[in-house]
Amino acid sequence: MADQESMLSVAPISREEVVRRKAFLEFADADVAILEGVNEFAARYTDSVIEDFYRHLMAHDETRAFFTDPDLLLHVQKMQKAYFRRLTEGNYDEQYVANRVSVGAIHERIGLPVKSYFGMYCYYLRAVLERLREEYKESPEHAFTVFKSLMKLTFFDMGLAIDTYIESREHTIQMQQEAIRELSTPVLLLRPSLLLLPIIGLIDTQRARQLTEQLLRSVRSNRAKVVVIDVTGVPSVDTKVANHLVQAVEAARLMGAVSIVTGIAPDIAQTMVKLGIDLMRITTVGDLQSGIEEAERLLGYTVSKITCTEKARGKEQS
Amino acid sequence: MSRPRAPILRLGDTLIASVQEALIDADLLGLRDELVVDVKRYRATGVIIDVTVLDVLDSFAARTLRNIVQMTQLIGAKTVIVGIQPDVAFAMVQLGLTLKGTDTALDLEDGLARLEVTLGREGRAR
Amino acid sequence: MAWHGSKLPWGAKAVLDEIVVPIRSEVDLVTARLRGREVASKLPFSSSELTLVATAISEVTRNILTYAGTGELSLGLVQQGQKMGVSIVARDQGPGIADLFSAMQDGYSTSGSLGLGLPGSKRLMDEFSIVSEIGQGTTVAMTKWKI
Repeated sequence: MADQESMLSVAPISREEVVRRKAFLEFADADVAILEGVNEFAARYTDSVIEDFYRHLMAHDETRAFFTDPDLLLHVQKMQKAYFRRLTEGNYDEQYVANRVSVGAIHERIGLPVKSYFGMYCYYLRAVLERLREEYKESPEHAFTVFKSLMKLTFFDMGLAIDTYIESREHTIQMQQEAIRELSTPVLLLRPSLLLLPIIGLIDTQRARQLTEQLLRSVRSNRAKVVVIDVTGVPSVDTKVANHLVQAVEAARLMGAVSIVTGIAPDIAQTMVKLGIDLMRITTVGDLQSGIEEAERLLGYTVSKITCTEKARGKEQS
Repeated sequence: MSRPRAPILRLGDTLIASVQEALIDADLLGLRDELVVDVKRYRATGVIIDVTVLDVLDSFAARTLRNIVQMTQLIGAKTVIVGIQPDVAFAMVQLGLTLKGTDTALDLEDGLARLEVTLGREGRAR
Repeated sequence: MAWHGSKLPWGAKAVLDEIVVPIRSEVDLVTARLRGREVASKLPFSSSELTLVATAISEVTRNILTYAGTGELSLGLVQQGQKMGVSIVARDQGPGIADLFSAMQDGYSTSGSLGLGLPGSKRLMDEFSIVSEIGQGTTVAMTKWKI
């Protein structure tokens, strides 16, 4: 795992992409020089800008909620100061990019909404503009020039951070989906050698894969000879789902188990045939009840109802 | 003389080929040839190929197994493939390798039981 | 020159820890599968996924032997943004595939077998692309991501 951590900080976006973005923002060497030029000035007002910034965050319920933990707050403030100082230190290279990317990931991880994120950048820019206006009262053109360069850099930062934000979010969603999938499928041993796999809900490729895996492992551990797969609870059975089913059935067969699929509604069966799915490749029986009876028959069980007289006789004899 | 990667044991009228480790193509083909010879020699009526140990069954392996089934059938023996593991079964169907027309069972025990059922009692009475 | 790909990967793909397995005989097929498993095991893939990787490797390296005689297999880990995966590239300088489109259809084969195993391998992996030029050779690149 430690390896993975260090790997994650390697080349999040390509060098070519960085060049492309800077070109599109028209952020060039001249801008780097301009920003480096105000580095000393920036060092002077960093503290006050950051303090004002936090007052702003704390004044609004939504953002204040993220910084209730005093340790977190302190840590974030330190980071923000460092970020701020970095803006005018020049050398906006690979390490700079990697750093901005990780900032985005951190904000996503704590659940900060994008709107707040953008709002924060906006506050920064306004705060800096004010200070620049003050500082360069005598030469407003220069303040304007500096601000333009800063804006380019800030938007470059935002682009990086938001990309990571989105990716981080997608990653989180995928992991959650995986967790849900793992929780949701029981394979039941109905009788010795008879497994029941009741499927409820929509099936996508990932879920189908997981269901099949679980089914096959159950076949092995329970030495199942017959499997009843019930899809009554699956709202939509299209070609893809049908194919997944067929694959599950075929895989179970390779392990010596016969499958019976139950619960395919007549209209769905019709659609499947129309779509060209070979229903002969899987044995389908009307409802779950019949499916289980068929399975028991295959396994050599006979299920018979005891009549009232037999019950009574049974009682007498005991 | 094939290498001892899949020794063939005899149990009455049944031959049991148990794969011991990953087979290269030549080994599989060697197994096929040896089984054919042995089925003839011992007038075997049943063959079990145990692939429990194999972590991959690709298109070549599937093809060769099918060949073995067909060839042994031509000389009067029924073959059951046993021991395909869950991961392997899954990969196989993804690849479209269903071993259609080939008898399969979970393991050696089930395979032997299957042969008994398929061949009926006469299979053993010889 | 023909190209067939399922998805064009965007962004940077850094290949890490790459190893190259020469494919010259059928013994190398077994080695290739083993190395493939080893490399893929560096990521938390399930045993089922590892088998898919090993099987796909078996198919594409087998193609090298059958159609080109020799070639090489490159195995490595890849990173794209936050996700990590295993990259498999099978290269040969063989005759090339004349009809790439057909080759990617199930059941197609010029050697009387079950087909080139290409569409199957594609199903086993997440990303798949193949470049082939007559008289120059073929390169098959596949990736499986660990979410």
